[in-house]
Amino acid sequence: MVTLMIVLKSIVIGALVGFGVGAGAARMFHAPNVQGMGAFRTFGELNACAGDPISHFSFGLGFLFNSWASVVGAGALTQDVDHRVIPNWAAAVLLWRNKNVAETLHNPKQMAIAGAAVGVVVVTLLNSTATAIPESMQLVATKVLVPAANWLINPIMPIVFWMAAMDAGKRTGIWGTVLGGLSHLVMGNAVPGIVLGILIGKGLEDSGWNKITKSMFIAVILLFVFSGFFRGFDVALLKSMYVEIPQWLIELHETFGSVVKK
Amino acid sequence: MGELQAKGFWYSEWAFPLFVACLSSGIFAGTHLYYVYHVGAFNDIAIVAMLEAGIKGGGYGAAAAFGASFLFARILEGPLVGILDIGGSLQTGIGIGVPALMLGAGFTAPLTSFPLALATGALLGLIIGTVIIMIRKYTINASNSTFGADVMMGAGNAAGRYLGPLIVISAIMASIPVGLGATAGAAIFYYYNKPIAGGAIIGAMILGAIFPIPTQ
Repeated sequence: MVTLMIVLKSIVIGALVGFGVGAGAARMFHAPNVQGMGAFRTFGELNACAGDPISHFSFGLGFLFNSWASVVGAGALTQDVDHRVIPNWAAAVLLWRNKNVAETLHNPKQMAIAGAAVGVVVVTLLNSTATAIPESMQLVATKVLVPAANWLINPIMPIVFWMAAMDAGKRTGIWGTVLGGLSHLVMGNAVPGIVLGILIGKGLEDSGWNKITKSMFIAVILLFVFSGFFRGFDVALLKSMYVEIPQWLIELHETFGSVVKK
Repeated sequence: MGELQAKGFWYSEWAFPLFVACLSSGIFAGTHLYYVYHVGAFNDIAIVAMLEAGIKGGGYGAAAAFGASFLFARILEGPLVGILDIGGSLQTGIGIGVPALMLGAGFTAPLTSFPLALATGALLGLIIGTVIIMIRKYTINASNSTFGADVMMGAGNAAGRYLGPLIVISAIMASIPVGLGATAGAAIFYYYNKPIAGGAIIGAMILGAIFPIPTQ
């Protein structure tokens, strides 16, 4: 009975998630004219498979095993389902019949429909058969693919984005470097900071300090301040400078539910 | 070429909130599955563990603060770069942060009832999608600058090329047979003008199935 409920609900959830992920992934190829949804790494990985159905399928398969291992252990599907398995398998399904990426992978309608179908299968499979994976396959996924993907996110992507920012001109290079370094400190990865640096640097180059670039600048500052605060960067900074953490700061953190360790 | 085709419902601004609503609805309902059956949360083990800590009675503060800050950061970043990060905004924000806030405040209904979970997720997604489109209207669309989107897209493309070699190196570090399999697979795929990431994974998996990676 419980399994049946999980299967039925998983079908609904898989269809909804797959539909959104598919449409969002295809729209990434038309960014910035169209607002996309996914991630820079998803975009890079989809491009790495270069419209080849076998590559898209095998890349997704590797992460399916990884998700499977995680769902058995902890009931967590891992972010790979939305970032890797569904978009790559939806792409593989579509590319199998038509190799033209403009009509398949880059088309939100096609990708949304294929994504919904893949989502139903993948989410239901993962949630209902969590105990039936060959262990050797799990090991390949966790020992080969996970480190490779982690290296891609850090340090490869920060370096590639950093160099792109520096090659795009002095202004973008400086903003990218400063915000990239700060972002690696505060958020744990330089890419968001470098991306924001390119955004501000290029914006200034094209149109100078106007209403839009100024409000973007303020938004970026707020972003750094808030994420720094919520991730406890302020406390860590004081600690590493051997400064006594003031009581009001500890209390401020407490009002948002996070406990400051002495 | 691609820009000429970028018209109609599927490419429109107002379709975006609908797509976000679908995805958020599914993700929030996934958290419902986790809350009720302990399976199906759309996030990595470490992040789901924060929610689990709250469910087990350890307080929802960590999950709520972590999720909320990610959601905030991604909503700001999304419209500016043209790509909303699903992992940070929806999976962590809507899937972990918001449920933690609700459970912390004593609202269990959106997480115990499946239809209510779907509706809550959809509503939150609709709001987030609309906010992002509004920010876009007042930044990107109101300016003649592309804000370096071409630079970022170029870097996104370039980063993807590193994946194949990284998988081969990682496979070699995992075990000798798996490394040989990945190397051969990558070489064969390269010869046939296919992306080497695919060949490396298939090679690693085949050899890994025959000669399992030793576990310490």
